[in-house]
Amino acid sequence: MVSKVLVANRGEIACRILRACREAGLTSVAIYAANDSKSLFVELADQAILLEGDSITETYLNQRQILEIAESTGADALHPGFGFLSERADFARAVTQAGIQWIGPSPSAIEKMGDKMTARITMRDAGVPVIPGEEIETEDETEALIAIEQASTRVGYPLLLKASSGGGGKGMRAVEHPEDLLEAARSARREALAAFGDGRVYLERLLTGSKHVEIQILADRHGRIIHLGERECSVQRRHQKVFEEAPCSTMTEEIRSAMGKAAVAAAMAVNYEGAGTVEFLLAPSGEFFFLEMNTRIQVEHPVTELVTGVDIVREQLRIAAGEPMSCGELHMRGHAIEVRLYAEDAAQNFLPAIGPLAVFQPPEGPGIRLDTGVREGDEVTPNYDPMLAKLIVWAPSRDEALQRMRRALDEFVVLGTTTNIRFLRELCDVPDVVEGTTDTTMIDRLWPEGWSPSLPIEFEDGALMAAAVAESAGLHRQSTSMAESNEHTGPVSPFMTLNRRYP
Amino acid sequence: MQHQFRTEQGSVEVIVAKQGNVWHLGEHQATVESDGRLRIHLASGASGLATVAKVGDTWWIHFEGHTFCLERIEPGASQSGEEGGLTAPMPGKVIDVLVKVGQAVEAGQTLMVLEAMKMEHRILASTSGHIKGIHFAAGEQVQQGSVLLEIDEDED
Repeated sequence: MVSKVLVANRGEIACRILRACREAGLTSVAIYAANDSKSLFVELADQAILLEGDSITETYLNQRQILEIAESTGADALHPGFGFLSERADFARAVTQAGIQWIGPSPSAIEKMGDKMTARITMRDAGVPVIPGEEIETEDETEALIAIEQASTRVGYPLLLKASSGGGGKGMRAVEHPEDLLEAARSARREALAAFGDGRVYLERLLTGSKHVEIQILADRHGRIIHLGERECSVQRRHQKVFEEAPCSTMTEEIRSAMGKAAVAAAMAVNYEGAGTVEFLLAPSGEFFFLEMNTRIQVEHPVTELVTGVDIVREQLRIAAGEPMSCGELHMRGHAIEVRLYAEDAAQNFLPAIGPLAVFQPPEGPGIRLDTGVREGDEVTPNYDPMLAKLIVWAPSRDEALQRMRRALDEFVVLGTTTNIRFLRELCDVPDVVEGTTDTTMIDRLWPEGWSPSLPIEFEDGALMAAAVAESAGLHRQSTSMAESNEHTGPVSPFMTLNRRYP
Repeated sequence: MQHQFRTEQGSVEVIVAKQGNVWHLGEHQATVESDGRLRIHLASGASGLATVAKVGDTWWIHFEGHTFCLERIEPGASQSGEEGGLTAPMPGKVIDVLVKVGQAVEAGQTLMVLEAMKMEHRILASTSGHIKGIHFAAGEQVQQGSVLLEIDEDED
């Protein structure tokens, strides 16, 4: 039985989970750091408890404090979301030992998949193809650098350095030439150490021209393990996904079926429970290789939800409560695309940006979904990840989905903080994106010197004119005068305007 | 009315005139809608609604799917010049300093590594020259806009 869920996360994904709890009739508890006290997710919870401390380590990563709150609030289940503690087997174990249901797979499944080397061995034994690669076990800097150099000759170039306990592109470096190896290795180790407290790295061959394709799986305690088809997430910048879609444009029934079987085999090999994602590289030849398994809900889960009609978070709650998953036979219908809206300056090498969300007007209309943790008036701070929102569209075909995404991005107005909206909009016109021939190196290939908007000069005239007229007309003082005029024409009691002829 | 704005290309002077309810800028026209947005009619015949918001001295404009940031220069304000200083693009922590004072550097060379938003950012030499000053050491926090290092530009 699950009746009260603590959501050990913040922002957009906390909102997603808290809303699912409300829909499922479950009581919810949010935890928040002081700098999040006015955030949307705090409002969406039935109960919200302040985390003591300032840094992320003292708050959202503080296992002991979060467990204490779970116990004192009487939560009987805990949803970790993604990031933060979601893939920490020790936390999953502590939660379970406290008699609280962990909404996710078992600690041992997280452990096996979280350690990239163990995951590779487990996958190879389960008959899932893996990429040539080697792990550097030593923590010592000098020894590690020697070992990395030796391993590089066996793995071959171009190669990829990854943090052993990494994710989200942190501690990851692509190395094209042997002479760049040492600097890249030092920098990857440093970033890995800062982000995960573990400087160990993993080397693997970089398969060029490949697509990043991943399979969503669901497994319940009643012996059912299914896959929900694939997502393609090839469009990445510094290994951070920016544009995700389902289905994959070059997918065939044969590959989907083989990949789906491999993903289910991967889940079975670790006795998986709940929602998970098995990531593959799909080479132009049609061969695919296991990359990693994410033992949690993923950022891009909505595209799968839109094409399959399955509410993945709701299924997670159901499965954690020991119920069988509710979805029947699955069919993929139409096409869904997600873009990640970041507070960043795409024209300045994607530097994270901060500022107020003076205006935040998302697009509306058919086939549009917005998953966000912010609203107008919020402040974007450097404290957390700069992702503001996920804009997801669905349409009957891929072409129509792209058209809808272009329209939606054109309508999206965010003022006060620089965002990547225009970059995402221009992505929708890139020939590789239009043709569906994207691969994981596309952004670097297209904009080796960095991206800058292609801007008709006339629009700049329009903007200058708008600024000059707005300043002349005193529009920045308008907010107060508009509030005053609302006294007369604004909100009126609904009982005065309602037509009282009830049937 | 005359206004000066700072754009990426430099400062631009804009003179708009009002006749009745219509504002004019050369052949372009604009009217203020009741909700505070602006209807812009461009000389080419294209027209669209602009959403505007002022944050500090900067006007943020959304027009035709593009977002513009135009900082208004107060009349009489002095222009702050770009010197050889390299500033922090955002708040963060210095994690590595790769040069010493007096060292010769080439344009594009990595001078410092910052960590912000959990990602590494490299501070590159904007020009070739000699390092004149280093204002932060590894481990120190920096604010957005802090001058991190200074370069004496080579004079050829």
